[in-house]
Amino acid sequence: MGNEDHALIRTVLAGEKDAYGLLVARHSQSVFRVAFRITENEADAEEIVQEAFLRGYRKLESFDARASFRTWIYRIAVNCALDVLNKRKHQAAVPIAEEHDGEQGTVQPADGAAGPDRLLLSQEIEARRQTAMEKLTPTERLAFVLRHMEDRSTEEIATALGIAPNSAKQAVFRAVQKLRQSLAPLWVKS
Amino acid sequence: MKHLTEEELIEHYYSEDFYKAESEAHLQACKHCAQAYEELGKLLSNVRASEPPMRGAEYGAQVWQSIQGSLRPYQSKTKRSYFRWPQLGYAAACLLFLAGAFLAGRIWEHAHTQPSLATTPQQARERVVLFVLDNHLDRSERLLVQLNHAGAEEEKVDLPLQAEARQLLTDNRLYRQSIAPANDPLLAAALDHLERVLLEVANSPDELSSADIARIEKEMNTQGLLFQIRVLRTKVSGQETNAQATRKGATI
Ligand SMILES: [Zn+2]
Repeated sequence: MGNEDHALIRTVLAGEKDAYGLLVARHSQSVFRVAFRITENEADAEEIVQEAFLRGYRKLESFDARASFRTWIYRIAVNCALDVLNKRKHQAAVPIAEEHDGEQGTVQPADGAAGPDRLLLSQEIEARRQTAMEKLTPTERLAFVLRHMEDRSTEEIATALGIAPNSAKQAVFRAVQKLRQSLAPLWVKS
Repeated sequence: MKHLTEEELIEHYYSEDFYKAESEAHLQACKHCAQAYEELGKLLSNVRASEPPMRGAEYGAQVWQSIQGSLRPYQSKTKRSYFRWPQLGYAAACLLFLAGAFLAGRIWEHAHTQPSLATTPQQARERVVLFVLDNHLDRSERLLVQLNHAGAEEEKVDLPLQAEARQLLTDNRLYRQSIAPANDPLLAAALDHLERVLLEVANSPDELSSADIARIEKEMNTQGLLFQIRVLRTKVSGQETNAQATRKGATI
């Protein structure tokens, strides 16, 4: 797979633009998945995919032949996602009215049961999770998604975002703290 | 006793703590931290990503269509002789690419309109067909790469090409006969083209000279065929992955 990617890249750099189409075909699904996990928005994710492959094409000459194209385009996509999140943050303020009040109703998680209570709880968690995610800064959100949902190490996150490992770690901490503030009231302290 | 900080607990949760064993020992010994850690675990295990909606197998082709207009071809600095791309016209390449996407999309849709979530014999068979087809296309691709490579060399060729071509020929006939050309025109055309190339290689004299190979390459447009097969493979293996993902999703 990797070698074929490299062969395609050489072909593109030799002037055969269309070979890039095969790289796009091979990797667009996985780029879309990470873009969607970060933005949780289909249109944004699609925009990120297009932008990532555009940037990838333009930067192709700087591609290090020892690297994997998959990792490389992933990083570019993460950066495009950061741009989209920043843009989103500037365009629309978070609708504060929709925020959940942490003091409101505490739901008992019926451990092990799969009844309607459990379903209600998971819906509530999901609603609050989304609200909490919207409150994160773009860097916090990205760092958290990469750490928690994409299982990337602090090093990888730092490299992808072009920040120091400690900053990446701090971003994850702050994200977890914010999520905890929003979600913790849902658990009854024993 | 110094308790673990929130940061340390989070690091421990993601197995990124420097003093893992010490943290573990502390959590075993300290009820306070153990409880905090359990709550953190409960919280984080409940935070799950929204599952990305499925993209069809034609998605890559759509993305390519949307961006290719704004891309300028790179200026070739040194043409590499060991890997040459077929000199297809722009329109022809797009057409091939879209046709491949269409084919894969059709297979994908077909696989996804199966009524039951459980694996039906029909689905199982489709997966086997996809796997076998991908395997066949993979082997054919390698043979064509070897062939094109050999044709570009000056020396005499000594490759076990013919034996491989004979084997592939038998399989290829089977696949070509088993698919309906009306349903899969691109695949049918590619297999047909492949068969002619394989036949030519299989029936050549024992020692193929590079001139022989160069002639086959030219007369039979093996570079073009290679491109077609690559497009088909990308789509077939994409479809295979989708089928696997569907199966996994169905068992959760
Ligand atoms: Zn403690």
